[in-house]
Amino acid sequence: MPFSSSGADDAFDYLFKIILIGDSNVGKTCVVHRFKTGQYNEKQQNTIGVDFTVRSMDIDGKKVKIQVWDTAGQERFRTITQSYYRSAHGAILAYDLTRRSTFESIPHWIHEIEKYGAANLVMMLIGNKSDSVDKRQVLFEDACTLAEKHGLLAVLETSAKEAQNIEEVFTLMAKELIARNTLQLHGESPPNSIYLDSRPVIASPSVEKSQCLC
Amino acid sequence: MARWSPPRNGGGGHDFDFKKKRKVEEIYQALNSDPIDVAALRRMAISEGGLLMDEIRCKVWPKLLSVNTDDLPPLPGKELREDNKDYQQVLLDVRRSLRRFPPGMPDDQREGLQEELIDIILHVLKRNPQLHYYQGYHDIVVTFLLVVGDRLATALVEKLSTHHLRDFMDPTMDNTKHILNYLMPIIDQVNPEVHDFMQSAEVGTIFALSWLITWFGHVLSDFRHVVRLYDFFLACHPLMPIYFAAVIVLHRQQEVLDCECDMASVHHLLSQIPQDLPYESLISKAGDLFVQFPPSKLAREAAQQQAERTAASTFKDFELASVQQRPDTVLRQRFGEQPRGEERTKSILTKPRTNRFVKLAVMGLTVALGAAALAVVKSALEWAPKFELQIFP
Repeated sequence: MPFSSSGADDAFDYLFKIILIGDSNVGKTCVVHRFKTGQYNEKQQNTIGVDFTVRSMDIDGKKVKIQVWDTAGQERFRTITQSYYRSAHGAILAYDLTRRSTFESIPHWIHEIEKYGAANLVMMLIGNKSDSVDKRQVLFEDACTLAEKHGLLAVLETSAKEAQNIEEVFTLMAKELIARNTLQLHGESPPNSIYLDSRPVIASPSVEKSQCLC
Repeated sequence: MARWSPPRNGGGGHDFDFKKKRKVEEIYQALNSDPIDVAALRRMAISEGGLLMDEIRCKVWPKLLSVNTDDLPPLPGKELREDNKDYQQVLLDVRRSLRRFPPGMPDDQREGLQEELIDIILHVLKRNPQLHYYQGYHDIVVTFLLVVGDRLATALVEKLSTHHLRDFMDPTMDNTKHILNYLMPIIDQVNPEVHDFMQSAEVGTIFALSWLITWFGHVLSDFRHVVRLYDFFLACHPLMPIYFAAVIVLHRQQEVLDCECDMASVHHLLSQIPQDLPYESLISKAGDLFVQFPPSKLAREAAQQQAERTAASTFKDFELASVQQRPDTVLRQRFGEQPRGEERTKSILTKPRTNRFVKLAVMGLTVALGAAALAVVKSALEWAPKFELQIFP
């Protein structure tokens, strides 16, 4: 789990490793790129194997370092990306809301995480490309149902292109991980019963519509 | 036989210096000799500057791959796109491969080339149902398309796919992972300190995956560097790209050692490939390393890494795959493989730590490489560990 660092320049209160998975071409790399640089890369190529990005965030006065492991979506790369699940604290599962098939793969991805990830790993679902709602093939309600069924932390619809909800995804994930970590440190009751109930609060009205806390 | 003469005005403009001019003449001499002097062409492709310009590459690349340019297969029709299991993935990858086309190219021209790119890939896959598309394959194909055009690219890529790229196109990535296992033993031979540092950081070898399976096409932004490397790799043994990967890591050894010793930091450092690499000297170093530590010498260590990392079931698959790719005995003989036994065991176990780069005369290097490369094997894995594993369980 997270640890603290005492280095001067590079000091942080928490370090979280987050793995980003989902079918090919749902926009995983663009989401990370937006998160890291604040920009949208029109010419983003496919990812081969695993890419890595790190960014620090300030959350409630705590310095949180977030490592994002961005993975290739093609099926044949899974045996490679699986080995990165084990050390991850959180997983962001991404689908493309304009392509139904990418949403239908989500249960497979959840299964992968359950199989190869740590037991208390936090999962979140994001439906990317919300800038193209006119081509929508996945209802937000369906995503919420799925998330609830599998006990995921939350669902957000995002747009890497128009910078919608990208910060929120990572903030939400970080807040949840901090909350769980704090609980764990204080050794309160069996983790799972508490964790399933924890509801991180985000009160930004602009994101309310496409955010579902399960 | 067609006779070619050197272009009057060179592709490089008026500053085409004397040395290059002479090399161009030598290349045309090799092309025009009867039979064509493929060994000389190989030497030219490896030595400084490689094949210099695309006009020459169009003529020499087919020779390096023994592709007969007089008998090219007809171009495929559009029916390829129906009923192809890989079509969707190919389409997704090609559509977002904008970065692989020259920056100033008009959109409609680029879109036309992207269509051709899809057709070439599907055509090769259709004719070779044993081959499986992987993300990154298009990075290789686009390089050929841009240099030699669609018709010739189809023939070259097909040959390459059934030879140099064969292992990457298996149903699973087990063989690809196995080839990556050669990386650390090579680094260990040259700089044990860097090797040990990387091992304790547990960085693995995935940072080099895209280098290997795209022949660096995915990560280098300057197309001239990409084609220069392709000259080199086409003239060499299929495992040469992994030697080149090792040389890049070794070139950055100080940066690596200065890095924080954890997986994320080292992976991050190494996967960001510098764009200003000294390609010519790295190429010659990779060649030196190949001669000093040929794959047969490293196979056992690579196999050990494989054995340590993969589950028994995976390994069974891998063995099965190796069996299916039966070694060509003639080529093995030509490569002059040593009889296996005690002597080999010793030479492997007493790892020479005297290493560092031994400077070989260019001739010695290219002759050795030529011999290796002439034995164009079906699969890099034919040099691999199956036998060793049986001898040394």
